Amino acid sequence: MSNTIKILLLFILIVISNSVFIINEKEQAIITQFGKPIGGSLIQAGLKFKLPLVHTVIKFDNRYLEWDGAVNEIPTKDNKYILVDTFARWKISDPLEFYKSAKNELLAQSRLDDIIDGAVRDEIANRVMGEIVRSTDRQMVTYDSESGESGHRDEELVDRGARLEIIGSILKKVQEKLEELNMGIEVADVQIKRVTYNKQVQTKLFNRMISEQNMIAEKYRAQGQGSKQEILGKQIQKEKEIMSDAYLNSQNIKGKADAEATEIYANTYSKSPDFYNYLRTLETYKNTLDSTTLFILSTDNKYLKFIEQ
Amino acid sequence: MPEKIKFGNIEIDINNNPLKNFTKYIGFFIVGLLMITSIYTVDANENAVVLRLGKYHATTGPGLQFKLPLIDSIYKVKVDYQYKEEFGFRTVRPGVKSAFSTRGYEEEAWMLTGDLKIADVRWVVQYKIKDARDYLFNVKNIDETIKDVSESSMRLMIGDRSFIEVIQTERIAIADQAKSYMQEILDRYETGVAVQLVQLQGVVPPEPVADSFNEVNRAKQDQETLINEAKQGYNKQIYRIEGEAQKIITEAEGYAIERVNNAKGDVALFESVLKEYLKAPQITKDRLYIETMEYVLSRNKNKIIVDKDIENLVPFLDQNKMRNK
Repeated sequence: MSNTIKILLLFILIVISNSVFIINEKEQAIITQFGKPIGGSLIQAGLKFKLPLVHTVIKFDNRYLEWDGAVNEIPTKDNKYILVDTFARWKISDPLEFYKSAKNELLAQSRLDDIIDGAVRDEIANRVMGEIVRSTDRQMVTYDSESGESGHRDEELVDRGARLEIIGSILKKVQEKLEELNMGIEVADVQIKRVTYNKQVQTKLFNRMISEQNMIAEKYRAQGQGSKQEILGKQIQKEKEIMSDAYLNSQNIKGKADAEATEIYANTYSKSPDFYNYLRTLETYKNTLDSTTLFILSTDNKYLKFIEQ
Repeated sequence: MPEKIKFGNIEIDINNNPLKNFTKYIGFFIVGLLMITSIYTVDANENAVVLRLGKYHATTGPGLQFKLPLIDSIYKVKVDYQYKEEFGFRTVRPGVKSAFSTRGYEEEAWMLTGDLKIADVRWVVQYKIKDARDYLFNVKNIDETIKDVSESSMRLMIGDRSFIEVIQTERIAIADQAKSYMQEILDRYETGVAVQLVQLQGVVPPEPVADSFNEVNRAKQDQETLINEAKQGYNKQIYRIEGEAQKIITEAEGYAIERVNNAKGDVALFESVLKEYLKAPQITKDRLYIETMEYVLSRNKNKIIVDKDIENLVPFLDQNKMRNK
């Protein structure tokens, strides 16, 4: 092998290695010639060719990329200041356009900040709080089934939520804007991660929840007292019922007995009313004429008739 | 090719050149290296994705596998592994009695309910990789994506229910719907992830208001205590009163028996006396009269017997003595 051949082989090797490159499944690329893009976007993975030395390969991510927006304080339509935290997933759909307009991911992120935050702000500011939090029109049970205590003040509640509509409409706006700008960026999805009150409102809300619970607690205690009084009332009622019932029964029993006794007496005494009269009168003497009675007995008294003799 | 090369007065014998053996060793070495790098193993719970010149070629299962050296590259993914993410808390020390930390995760856990209150929600998401190729090549930073999607899904479900529903009745529905919404979004990004389980660990009032909720529970217990005490008093009193009523009835019955028996007795006595009387009316009458007088007068201390001819009796009476009596 001559030295010339060796050098030639080495040269060929360098040329080949500089004109062949691999794009893997995570990547896509463009080719530039002295900084100027030439040809189209290389999106498919595989072995690719370029002119050695003259052409440079710039690779981009071919996957969905994160976008996590800063937390924004936005006033709602009903004038509540809320903190909204959104995130999105986007990808470089056209590396060539992307390179022309955004250059790199970092710059693209800041462009997305403007576009998405703007769309979020527009949508949130146009909706009342209840619509932002809720997502359907399902009927909510807002009171405790046990206490029957209605929870929140009703004017703040909405029948129909719009969370999904808001998300959809933010996404649509963002997509339209990106299409208009032709940045080679495609946003797959924008989601609202968190919606919260700011600290002061949150503290107020907690205080309101506490006072509401205290009210419910008081109600339970009052109901307890009420039930107690009710039971006490029932007790007195029952007592009177039982006692009067017993009185009624006892009087009936006594009455019947009196009637029976009367009948017995009448039946027998009527056999000889005169003798009964006589006997009964004598009987009463025994009871009515006691030791204190002053007797003035005349000797013509039947009892003393023998004294006369 | 000449066997000997001459550089001036230095002569090298190619056949005896030690470099010749060295190239032979390098050849062996390279061949061995190629053989070793063309073999790879995939563990039991793994799948391996093969990229050939950067392009997806195949997904291989567990076992000993072959690849083209240098040209093929291998990415291994645990497809049979159950991944777990915690939200609103973190397991500090797993074990039979795990320790959890909830402090500092309020931002994650506190969320607005449909009636604009705040609930403290903690949950766990378990997922598996269902498609290794999608998992590897479609989304950058997939862990963060799963977290973001899980949070927004949970908040969406909590936000559509009232506080009471969130705490009491809707827990299963919330978990189910959050799971399917999560899956929907993750499929939109083609993450290759299958959500196995969304489980609510704790749904409670936030810590600053927790005591007022306990107060309600205490009040409920107070209410029950009051009612129970009243019921107890009721029963006690009613049992006593029923006893008293029974006593009145029993007394009345006693009276009745007595009354009738007395009547019967009186009547029996009368009948027997009457029987005697009818046998000898005048004698019996006299006897009864005398017996009565005996009884009456024997008990009496003030007896004045006057002659039937005396008139104006009053002056004879000792007025003072009468008054003292």
